[in-house]
Amino acid sequence: MRNILLLAFNDLAIALKNKTFILILFIPLFVFVSLNLIDRTDAGANIVKIGLMQGYAYAPEITRSISAAEKIIAVTWIQNENEGMQLLKDRKIDGILTGNEAAPGSLALLVLKKESLHTIAIVQSFSALQKAAEGRGPDWITGIISLHQGDIQRQTLPTWILMLVLLIGFIILPAQVAEEKEKKLLLALLQTPIHEVQWLIAKLILGMVLIISAVLLLHLLGNFGPVHLFDYIAFIIAGSFCFSAYGIFLGFLCRNQASARTLGVIFYLPHLLPSAMSDVSQKLTAVAPLLPSYQLYKPLQAILLEDGSMASMSFDWIYLVLLGSLMFYLSYFLMKRRWLM
Amino acid sequence: MQLEIRNLAKLYDEKRGLAPTSFDVGKGELIAIVGHNGAGKSTLLKMLASWILPDGGSVKFDGIDLKNRTAVVRKVGFIPEVPNLFDFFSVEYNLKLFAALSQTPFQRVEEILNEFNLIPFRKSKVQALSKGLKQRVNIGRALLSNPSVLLLDEPTSGLDFEMTRETYRLMSAMHGDGKTIIFTSHRPEEIKNLATRIMLLHEGKLIFDGSPEEYFRSESHEKLYAW
Repeated sequence: MRNILLLAFNDLAIALKNKTFILILFIPLFVFVSLNLIDRTDAGANIVKIGLMQGYAYAPEITRSISAAEKIIAVTWIQNENEGMQLLKDRKIDGILTGNEAAPGSLALLVLKKESLHTIAIVQSFSALQKAAEGRGPDWITGIISLHQGDIQRQTLPTWILMLVLLIGFIILPAQVAEEKEKKLLLALLQTPIHEVQWLIAKLILGMVLIISAVLLLHLLGNFGPVHLFDYIAFIIAGSFCFSAYGIFLGFLCRNQASARTLGVIFYLPHLLPSAMSDVSQKLTAVAPLLPSYQLYKPLQAILLEDGSMASMSFDWIYLVLLGSLMFYLSYFLMKRRWLM
Repeated sequence: MQLEIRNLAKLYDEKRGLAPTSFDVGKGELIAIVGHNGAGKSTLLKMLASWILPDGGSVKFDGIDLKNRTAVVRKVGFIPEVPNLFDFFSVEYNLKLFAALSQTPFQRVEEILNEFNLIPFRKSKVQALSKGLKQRVNIGRALLSNPSVLLLDEPTSGLDFEMTRETYRLMSAMHGDGKTIIFTSHRPEEIKNLATRIMLLHEGKLIFDGSPEEYFRSESHEKLYAW
């Protein structure tokens, strides 16, 4: 135990000296600040900013309704289409109402992205406005209840956590292991009576401490608290164990830091993207469960956004622990063989 | 015998590595292993230090099999050609870390710092030291647990004349303290007054094993320059 602690403290001291800790703390901070800029909660954030062409003859009831709804729609009159495009690109307006060439006499909405929350908001606002002007009753669907709770900060939290776990597991740890191999520091440590397993456990502690520190900071900054705290901690520990062991194993496959970073990126992106984007694509939803990263992402999403509990996710937890144990054993095997040392 | 080496072998290819080799080493010997690059000198030493695993054969230190690494490392100190220290940290940190891992009292660190004239550099980061000083720290680290056998791989490689002389003086002093020393060298002339035994390796085979006097009288010495 004494040797494990000594080695773990040495690893943490190295992580401090080579600025790994700064990187790990910077990422949550950066994510938090960026999301705060996106996720505006002030009153102005709910106003739709619409551009109207000065030369276009809008139906009088449209301009009248828009003017009357000044609390939800802000109008900017634009000289020509070019000016409108520039305002759109600069995010100064959300959309432009212009003539629809495909259906003369009706209007088209020009936006930056068709599939965006802003576009939905504009269409909803104008639909409500039209119904009010025509004196019709409310829509069949009068509200949207989301299974995933919270604002964009909370909704993207599982993705950020997965990104941090994989960054530490696939980029930072393999590079650190490979560096110790490259500089023959691991062999120097093995000139002392430490056991190979002690060195491996110390590296696991390093990975888990880095991951847990980053996740903790993300939670503290966003003031997020899962309903099932114990289940959440259990998954963070299982995930950090699994991907730290995975990273150590990748480090053993490389002779030097440069190749470890390359290999790390090769593993990082295919583990991150399919899982993190599985919500927006049916094909990715089919592929993602084949990846171990999904076994962490899915439960985190369920616990953080759907108030899920571990009872329905025991398979994922056992999967992570077993995969981590297998990677740990493979690392031990390669270390005993002095693989690429 | 302090070291019993039987059919120790590691083959990378036909001409590289070490063919099955057997020899014994008595307590207090100072053995120079000479030969060209790729002769198998470093491979032999690295196998004795458990840095690489042999393809076959056995090694016993005071009767303990090399496979029992954690027991053997207390008896053997290995000093590689390139110092392998934690560059970010100070000389003192490096020595204390390895002392703690070897369960050696920190008093021994003070002794090593004194013995190797490292007191003025104790707080210096290793990365700021000259190669000669790094090598001194490296040798000091290997001596922390007071091993009875020291293995030095090309200890004077890259050192200037002054530092080479200093390293040989240190080796001589350690030998005087009763330690068994095995080291590798390219330059037999330099160590003829130092070694008590010379072994010549060529293309992975041990082709001479005897005293320095016998070696310098033998054809092997002449051949070394002809190969």
